[in-house]
Amino acid sequence: MSRRSIAVPMVMLFVLASVPLKAWAEDPVSIRQLKREMDQIKAEREQERKQLEELEKKIDELQSSNQKLQKTTTTLEQANKQLSTQTTQSIAQMQKKLSPEGFASLFGNYLGEHQFTLTGAAGGSFIYDHQAQTNTFTLDFEPIALYRLNDWLLFEGTVEASLDPGTGASFDLPVATAQIFLNKYMEINAGIFDQPFGDWYEDQSAMWVNPFITAPLLYGVEAIVPPTDIGVQLRGGVQWGELGQDADYTVWVSNGPTFESSPGVNVLPAPVIGETIAGPDNIAVQSNTRGFGGRFRVYPLPVDAGWGRLELEASTFDGKWDNGFWYYSWGVGFAYREGPFRTRGEWVEAYRQMPSAASLGAGAYPGCCGHDNRQGWYWQAGYFLYGIPHPDLGAFEQYFDRTEALIRYSGVNQRSVVAEDISTTPSFGFNGSPAVFAPHSREVALGLDYWIAPSIVWQTEFDLELPEAGGTLYTFGGANRPLASAVGATTNDQAVLTQFTVGF
Amino acid sequence: MMKRLAIVLALVVPMLTSTMPVMAAQQLTEAQKQQLFLKGAKLWPIYCNHCHNARNPAEYAPYQWNAIMMHMRTQGNLPADDAQAILEFLKRAR
Repeated sequence: MSRRSIAVPMVMLFVLASVPLKAWAEDPVSIRQLKREMDQIKAEREQERKQLEELEKKIDELQSSNQKLQKTTTTLEQANKQLSTQTTQSIAQMQKKLSPEGFASLFGNYLGEHQFTLTGAAGGSFIYDHQAQTNTFTLDFEPIALYRLNDWLLFEGTVEASLDPGTGASFDLPVATAQIFLNKYMEINAGIFDQPFGDWYEDQSAMWVNPFITAPLLYGVEAIVPPTDIGVQLRGGVQWGELGQDADYTVWVSNGPTFESSPGVNVLPAPVIGETIAGPDNIAVQSNTRGFGGRFRVYPLPVDAGWGRLELEASTFDGKWDNGFWYYSWGVGFAYREGPFRTRGEWVEAYRQMPSAASLGAGAYPGCCGHDNRQGWYWQAGYFLYGIPHPDLGAFEQYFDRTEALIRYSGVNQRSVVAEDISTTPSFGFNGSPAVFAPHSREVALGLDYWIAPSIVWQTEFDLELPEAGGTLYTFGGANRPLASAVGATTNDQAVLTQFTVGF
Repeated sequence: MMKRLAIVLALVVPMLTSTMPVMAAQQLTEAQKQQLFLKGAKLWPIYCNHCHNARNPAEYAPYQWNAIMMHMRTQGNLPADDAQAILEFLKRAR
């Protein structure tokens, strides 16, 4: 209630009390005035009541509006929270997609399951040989196409383009295989492949992998084991102990070994002791047997021991090189690397069955008969100079640390060589020295590699050819039967090779 | 003839039946991938350097490493789990 509403009745009581009843009854003007005032007061009260009602109504309206506002605010807050969550999730998804791994996944999906990759190597070299008086540049290009169809099937094809004397480029297909991963422990490798005998052909012959420019003598131009073959391999590896203690196996059947006089090859008119191994037996024309091989390797050192990685290996490859005549080969090897030091070596023996003189009778000829035994070996070691404690060499430091010093000793023993096999024309990876074709060839190779990157190297090699005396030289000279002559002391020789190789 | 056929079947059937589960693509969790990465980081310098200088992971895209590691598993006869660990390292360490 307002003050005014209280004051009006008080005034009226006061007036009634102070005015005598007689006078009041006798003064009609005062009564009318009082009545007017009372009416006026009533009207005012009515007006105030209405104002109050309006105010209350407004308050109700305001309260309603406020509730609506609160409700709207809550809705907005919820919407904002939801939007914020969605935005955070979207940003996280975007960041995941934009990360290298996410991009790789997207790119992989874009490329599809069938994926093509090109690797390989290219190299150019300069070769000088003292005895043959040759010096030349050479070039070789070996792209490897890898076609991955899924996670258990891969096709591999290696094309070799080289520049032989007097021609354009010549092309070869040393490897074309399908690699089928059956499970964790078995894989089929079928096609034309590097012979998985020892470590050299399969694991060390790539030009950027071989720390030397040339091959060890037993895997070079007078190889004693066939370098490639066509057939099927079954292979795999398993961890038998702690991490790093592995073992692996490779067994294979192939078209088998052939020599220059083998049926279907016929480079030489008649079999003779000392003839070189021919290329892969593309089509086996012999009806007897295929070639059979096996290689087993074991790695005894656990990784966590920190002693480096040691490999011990044994191989064999056998088959008939001519109808009824066997070829056997076997070898053992090792490899070890720890930090800047690496070394490996192999010893191999091969035996080739020849006709007996009794069976040929009057048809016997020089070099026809007996046994064609050969042995070959190599040992090599390398040391990266970064392993040598040295003071700060300033700007020269990087060159010093990237340099590797190497040494290799290799040799081949065989009873004889064939004059038609001897070629002193240098080629990529071969120094052209005549001393390599001695029956008892020996070579010391000194190397200095400058590794610009892990697969880019500038190599320099100095070969000391130190053949030993002895053996026989067979010469066909266009005839169907060879003539024999003794090989005496063969002159030592020196060769220098330098090569720039890029593995890509 | 029948004897030879029986021998071939005895060799081939277990080989193929043991193959099927492995051929299915394995889905690994993030934690498993992280473990593989750490294992691969340990093996990469030792296994690769055994035959040649270990290549820089940045040299190839992850999809290329997929093919190259299949090739290297063959060349080195690497145990499958070790090859997978090295692959995970090469793909992630770029």
